[in-house]
Amino acid sequence: MTTISTSSLPTGPTTQTSSFLQAAIKPVPPWRRMINRMLGHRGLVLGAAILAVIVLAALFAPWLTPHDPFEQNVSQRLIPPIWNALGSWDHVLGTDKLGRDYLSRLIYGARVSLMIGCAAALISGVIGTTLGVLAGYFGGRVDALISYIITTRLSMPVVLVALAMASLVGGSLKVVIILLGLLLWDRFAVVTRSATQQLRDAEFIAAAKAIGASTPYILVREILPNIMSALIVVITLEMAHAILLEATLSFLGLGVQPPTPSWGLMVSEGKSYMFFKPWVIVIPGVALAVLVLAINLVGDGLRDVNAPDGRN
Amino acid sequence: MLIYILRRFGIALCVAVTVSIVSFSLLHMSGDLATAIAGPEASATQVETIRVQFGLDRPMMSQYIDWLGKAVQLDFGKSFYFQGPVMEMVAERLPITMKLGGIALLLAVAVAIPLGVLAAIYRDTWLDRVALLIAVVGQAMPSFWFGLSLILIFSVTLHWLPVAGNEGWENFVLPAVALGYYAMPAMMRLTRAGMLEVLGSDYIRTARAKGLGKGKVIFKHALRNAVIPVVALAAVELGFMLGGSVVIESVYSMQGLGQLAWDAISRNDYPVVQAVVLIIAMFYIGLTFLADVINALLDPRIRTR
Amino acid sequence: MSILLEVKNLRVDLPTENGMLHAVRGIDFQVKRGEMLCLVGESGCGKSMTSLALMGLLPRKAICTADRMAFDGTELLGLPDKKLNQLRGQRMSMIFQEPMTSLNPAYTLGNQLCEAMLEKPGVTRAEVRERAIYLLHRTGISNAEDRLRQYPHQLSGGLRQRVMIAMALMCGPDLIIADEPTTALDVTIQAQILRMIRELQREFGTAVVFITHDLGVVSRIADRVAVMYAGQVVETADVAQLFASPQHPYTRGLLNCIPVRGKTLPGSKLQAIPGVVPSLVGHVSGCVFRNRCALADAACEQDPPMVNTAAGDKVHYARCHKATAADAVQLNEAA
Repeated sequence: MTTISTSSLPTGPTTQTSSFLQAAIKPVPPWRRMINRMLGHRGLVLGAAILAVIVLAALFAPWLTPHDPFEQNVSQRLIPPIWNALGSWDHVLGTDKLGRDYLSRLIYGARVSLMIGCAAALISGVIGTTLGVLAGYFGGRVDALISYIITTRLSMPVVLVALAMASLVGGSLKVVIILLGLLLWDRFAVVTRSATQQLRDAEFIAAAKAIGASTPYILVREILPNIMSALIVVITLEMAHAILLEATLSFLGLGVQPPTPSWGLMVSEGKSYMFFKPWVIVIPGVALAVLVLAINLVGDGLRDVNAPDGRN
Repeated sequence: MLIYILRRFGIALCVAVTVSIVSFSLLHMSGDLATAIAGPEASATQVETIRVQFGLDRPMMSQYIDWLGKAVQLDFGKSFYFQGPVMEMVAERLPITMKLGGIALLLAVAVAIPLGVLAAIYRDTWLDRVALLIAVVGQAMPSFWFGLSLILIFSVTLHWLPVAGNEGWENFVLPAVALGYYAMPAMMRLTRAGMLEVLGSDYIRTARAKGLGKGKVIFKHALRNAVIPVVALAAVELGFMLGGSVVIESVYSMQGLGQLAWDAISRNDYPVVQAVVLIIAMFYIGLTFLADVINALLDPRIRTR
Repeated sequence: MSILLEVKNLRVDLPTENGMLHAVRGIDFQVKRGEMLCLVGESGCGKSMTSLALMGLLPRKAICTADRMAFDGTELLGLPDKKLNQLRGQRMSMIFQEPMTSLNPAYTLGNQLCEAMLEKPGVTRAEVRERAIYLLHRTGISNAEDRLRQYPHQLSGGLRQRVMIAMALMCGPDLIIADEPTTALDVTIQAQILRMIRELQREFGTAVVFITHDLGVVSRIADRVAVMYAGQVVETADVAQLFASPQHPYTRGLLNCIPVRGKTLPGSKLQAIPGVVPSLVGHVSGCVFRNRCALADAACEQDPPMVNTAAGDKVHYARCHKATAADAVQLNEAA
């Protein structure tokens, strides 16, 4: 609002006239205020809840799955899920073309997605943050060089390059993690660079320099903690991005290889049957969407709680 | 202004060259190309023959320079698999991908901007929440799955649209939706954020004080300023779409550039892959450059500097 | 002269995190045709809120009520947007405080000057353009024709404010509300703009509600003055009367604060009114100035009445328990 804020009146007079004294408000510590804000944000709470369920399911997979996800049983192939007339409680979400229980594969697939999401986000996070902080802090030629690198990376069609490299090296879980880690660092770099730039001229940095702090010390102990809030938002968003990319790679056959249950792979395996047995592709797709949705809700929620009105 | 454009153009060119170097190196370093081309069953001598035949035994630097020299003249060499000039294949497939990308972008923009404007005007009402919901759900679905689902619903169940191919305009509807929906949320949010910011500014208050109607205030005064970054984003999103079209073209069996790249990758046909990567990169660079120019043109503060 | 603007018991409330802020607490004033009324008060006294309420430009959350808020007989409160838009820009216009941000950077000055008048039925583009050029001349802008094609960012603050003034005059309004139009400008420019506003106002016979915090400005251009404090009008009088014999302790305090060349001894302390403005959030009652007033006593816990301290048919209102009514005629206003 650009109209004057009349709520900027000083609260309380300096003299003793009683009827004007406001009750003293107990100050709330900043971290507590942050927690309150987070709990008040419905999207954040919902996303975190869903994410917690999925993570727990993935962690306790061996105890939760009714069947072995790799166990094939050709006589039980393509049984529909429970809501179809032909379904049975033995296989709540049905079976795939090799008779493997879909629910079990789904839960183990969560492991794959989460693992890849975390690992790839971590690797690209380290690369991107390093580049971004260096560029933002030192400015000048370092910044020019790193910005150039970022622009180059942004100009490359990631999916194609990832596909080509995966094709040469051979697809696997490890390969996917490394590839995505090496390719997805751009947003980290961009965000940490601008965040660092904003901090660079702050007084506490000058104070640290004045007491003789070395540059690495400043970077790690002063700058990093202060860009953490922006960084966490990017971590969640890139996790989601990595999960979707892995699913795409696996769908095209160049990601995780069978028989490992990856949701993307499950969709591709069911593609030929999708006209007659649609659940084979619908279920993993919904799972992917729900996981990514939860992560995005958490990321957006964190962003809102830190800087409302889309200022980021 | 002219110097600004020329400088951006120069940088764009350098970036293009760098991209080609990087992709060239990445591909050559990922594995032994000769072995890949020869296939798993080939004998050592066959691999060597192929290596010499395609010049893969020379130092990487000279390979690259040769390639770059020819690429500048739009000669991307011959496809390993089809034995025909790569440029021809590219030229044949490019229009389809561009058509697809163009329609996808138009659809995305046609939904994103009005939705963003409405979300901003009716902020915090059910309309706003629904728009944000659509945005958030839209970005959660993987495009290949969305594409397949569209086929399931519209082709198989409702029989409204064809499943595959790229002959008539009907073939482009579903793929364009599947390609464009992912770009829509970002543009909608940017429109909404831009409108919210602009609607709170002083010159909007002035416009209202002059007695201008709501429509004029929103469309003439507010949107004109709020939409500038969105247009720039749209240009960039088009670049992403061109790069990501491989998935959609595969799902819908369209004979576009993405499908060409995919075939080439499966067959280790590296001249084709090289060429496609470079071309898409060039488009992306060109589009980001275009986005800068649009920004400069639309904002008089930059234009009349 | 007939009454153009009549405001009775205007209230503006804003919900805030800490409670309801009573920004404007029942003010009354009138503006006659062709008259320059100055609304004087310090930051936060509610004068800007008043102007926004009159023009229907309050923020969405604000709650505005009044017994009467009529422009030339038409009740403004609750007026549907369409009718309000017919008045705004055409018969009532507004000049804002910040010239740097009050113009749309994407359109030319000509475009923005002319658009309101083009809404009028029966005017031609040529007529509107001519009027724009004429008004730009009158507001002291050279090369008026070229200026039409320029963009706001190409002009300095002073020039932009002149354009804003010209823009406010385009449709020949009966009333202009000027919200501290010179506050954001250099002192030298201020004087020029003030003089210009006064001249134009007299020439076109426009009534002006001029909002300011500067008593110096008031003395230079006002016909009548309304002094505002903490959401209320505490004194209303003709300008000469106000400066000659201020009736409200706040006004007296304000006038004491101004150092006078010749009277104030060099090296003496600058005067200030002790205390600060109390919070207007939540329940407010009694005289709102009493925590800073030397004359305050137990009686001031009650809402003070509006007293006419002038004799005959003159009018000089003061909202104070200690003010003596000249004709023992008291006007009770709910605070």
